[in-house]
Amino acid sequence: MNARLQKLIADAKAAWQAEQASGRVRIRVTLDTSSIARGAEETLARLRDAAASRKIDADVGITGSWGFCWMEPCVSVRSAAGTHAVLYGNVTPDRVDELIDAIAAGRDLPSLALGVIEGNATPDIPLLEDHPFMKGQVRRLMANLGRTDPENIDHYLAHGGYEGFGKALEMDAEAIVKEVLDSGLGGRGGGGFPTGRKWDFLRNATASPRYLICNADEGDPGAWVNRILMEGDPHLIIEGMLIAALASHADEGYIYIRYEYPLAFERMKKAVAQAYEKGLLGKDILGTGKNFELIVFLGAGAYVCGEETGLINSIDGYRGMPRIKPPFPAQAGLWNKPTNVNNVESYANAPLILRNGAQWWSSVSDAKEKGTKMFTFSGHVKQAGCIEIPFGPKVRTLLEQYAGGLSGDLPLKGFQPGGPLSGVLPASDIDLTLTLDPYRERGMFLGSGGVVFFDQSACIVDLCLFFLGFCEDESCGRCTTCHGGTQRAVEILRRIAAGGGRDADLDNFEKLIGTLVWSNCLHGQFAMTSIKTSLKTFRDEYVEHIVDKVCRAGVCKGLMPGRWARRAAPQPAAAAAD
Amino acid sequence: MAAEPGLQELRELVAEFQPGRGHVLPALHKVQHTYGWVPRAAIEVIARQLNTTPALIYGAVTFYSDFRTHPPAKYEVAWCCGPACRLRGGEAIREAIQEELGIGLDEQTPDHRFGLHVGQCNGTCHEAPQIWVNGRVRGNLTPESARDLIRSLRDGE
Ligand SMILES: Cc1cc2nc3c(=O)[nH]c(=O)nc-3n(C[C@H](O)[C@H](O)[C@H](O)COP(=O)(O)O)c2cc1C
Ligand code: SF4
Repeated sequence: MNARLQKLIADAKAAWQAEQASGRVRIRVTLDTSSIARGAEETLARLRDAAASRKIDADVGITGSWGFCWMEPCVSVRSAAGTHAVLYGNVTPDRVDELIDAIAAGRDLPSLALGVIEGNATPDIPLLEDHPFMKGQVRRLMANLGRTDPENIDHYLAHGGYEGFGKALEMDAEAIVKEVLDSGLGGRGGGGFPTGRKWDFLRNATASPRYLICNADEGDPGAWVNRILMEGDPHLIIEGMLIAALASHADEGYIYIRYEYPLAFERMKKAVAQAYEKGLLGKDILGTGKNFELIVFLGAGAYVCGEETGLINSIDGYRGMPRIKPPFPAQAGLWNKPTNVNNVESYANAPLILRNGAQWWSSVSDAKEKGTKMFTFSGHVKQAGCIEIPFGPKVRTLLEQYAGGLSGDLPLKGFQPGGPLSGVLPASDIDLTLTLDPYRERGMFLGSGGVVFFDQSACIVDLCLFFLGFCEDESCGRCTTCHGGTQRAVEILRRIAAGGGRDADLDNFEKLIGTLVWSNCLHGQFAMTSIKTSLKTFRDEYVEHIVDKVCRAGVCKGLMPGRWARRAAPQPAAAAAD
Repeated sequence: MAAEPGLQELRELVAEFQPGRGHVLPALHKVQHTYGWVPRAAIEVIARQLNTTPALIYGAVTFYSDFRTHPPAKYEVAWCCGPACRLRGGEAIREAIQEELGIGLDEQTPDHRFGLHVGQCNGTCHEAPQIWVNGRVRGNLTPESARDLIRSLRDGE
């Protein structure tokens, strides 16, 4: 391996070992957007103050997410001897004293413990890996999360970081592409297109300079897997882009982060600055003569900028309107030069593939899709969080095991696999696997990982109104089919919800479905998916709204509440109509 | 209300940005970060600095929902419109806040103390339904607690 890289890694490992053997109690607080929303900054400050005022020799620091988002702030405590470490959840600021008391007395605090993360289980606290939320998960992308400080490049280097890049430095571009192709890595941004093939397109491009773009726009409401990675292990993404740059002879890269993720933006910027400092980015990288510049770019609030050509226009400085393809970005992308766009999670897998080999990487999953995938889940669930699992499990597993089941006492009505364009499915499809094909076959798609579950208190007309309203607001306005069509669909849905549904409305929807497919980009082409899929499986409910003027969930205010209407709902206590 | 900054000040603020380098959004962000909004004069100054037309800069400002063309209120309240919030009663939160403040979305109270706008899901769905007050998540709301929160902000001055 490159001698300079070897030294960076050796130094980082030595520093890590010294830190481990310091004989101090080590306290690590998950500090990310989810935990901050639950008071983690104050928890951190109070832990620091309390440790100081009570003269506990503790090293208090930060780390990324364990995925237990609903139980943030999570705090891990490692004994001074370094033989025993426990992860705690729900360490809200008011519980800090309790935890500090336990630390001062040299005992655990079983009431808040999630599990033992180093050493043996105790009579009161089982191993974290035996926690139902952790079982079945395989943490590769998330391996450092909860363990290293995302703002410290040495922590990354001490845990196999930049080793994949080191290997790639000794390979030619074609061999790197082949390794990624062999792994079977498919794009994680929703399409599943083989990442290696995209890199090969760019490798074979003739013009220069060439650009790499990391799509960190993550606009699907209910998806936050990219945020978890950027906030928890930003160097994984930088290393992935460096490998892609070697594979495709790219000169410059952009990481395009949505405006709603200010912490991810700060962390990525910090990580890029550290990589420059260590000579891993910029000119003559590690003395190899290779160059790669990396720029962290902040979006400004537009869902269509997640569409790759909208994103390119956005960096260009124009309105972020998707372009007409062809030409494709690999031919004429950023500044009309060859460009490759990949999702955060796609790039983040490259270091793992290069470090451990394609065979190791792909063998984790029996499904056609290879490797692991991160998912977040929310809605009417007990536990909104983030997991990483090998491709293949059922939606049911996600709901029952990881999301802890439904939060209320009503039965499941359905779910949305991934984002407002992906469509909605009924509870009877709960045994579909979280892989690409089942959704493709239904004219929808799996999406980028944000699954939303809803129970019978949700109204299908209201849900579609939300999804179509989102598509209308976020339409870039180029195509009449898309901006006019979504507007029309919203008008009809509003009218139905207000009690003015007409017999012709379902036909009107069919017409719109047939029209929007002629839109320029996937935004318009898939805008009607939630109506299209729900007309198949929830047709009765539309008919009830239109003909009987009943909203079974009691959500639509212009209609009589039906059988699932919650008693607390502010509707008149009308007799249930079904 | 904040006064419009002078031309010279604006020119200096965006002097680091160059044409043809993808600097439109970074320049706009810098202006908004400095003043809390993008004053009219900044559009022309940025256009000149980047050797392009004010129409193009204005086009960008109006395309992206996070650029403000007016000064922010003291408390900018973003109402999360995401699916988890909606499923967990977000509409009722919006109605309660609108009623309490007497304004609609994208409006400010006459005293400019409160502004209300739509926020896009940031993946803190475990706190649904929620709003963000000046970027800080205030979650697990009920219509009553949302009203209380607004009242306590109003009275807290
Ligand atoms: C409206 C719209 C929004 C999109 N948003 C995202 C996004 O937020 N993140 C993303 O990676 N891909 C998004 N995509 C897909 C991208 O266009 C592109 O296919 C993807 O970034 C390619 O990366 P991959 O091959 O690694 O999946 C979106 C597409 C459309 C049509
Ligand atoms: S389909 Fe919609 S979002 Fe896509 S280019 Fe057309 S108008 Fe714009």
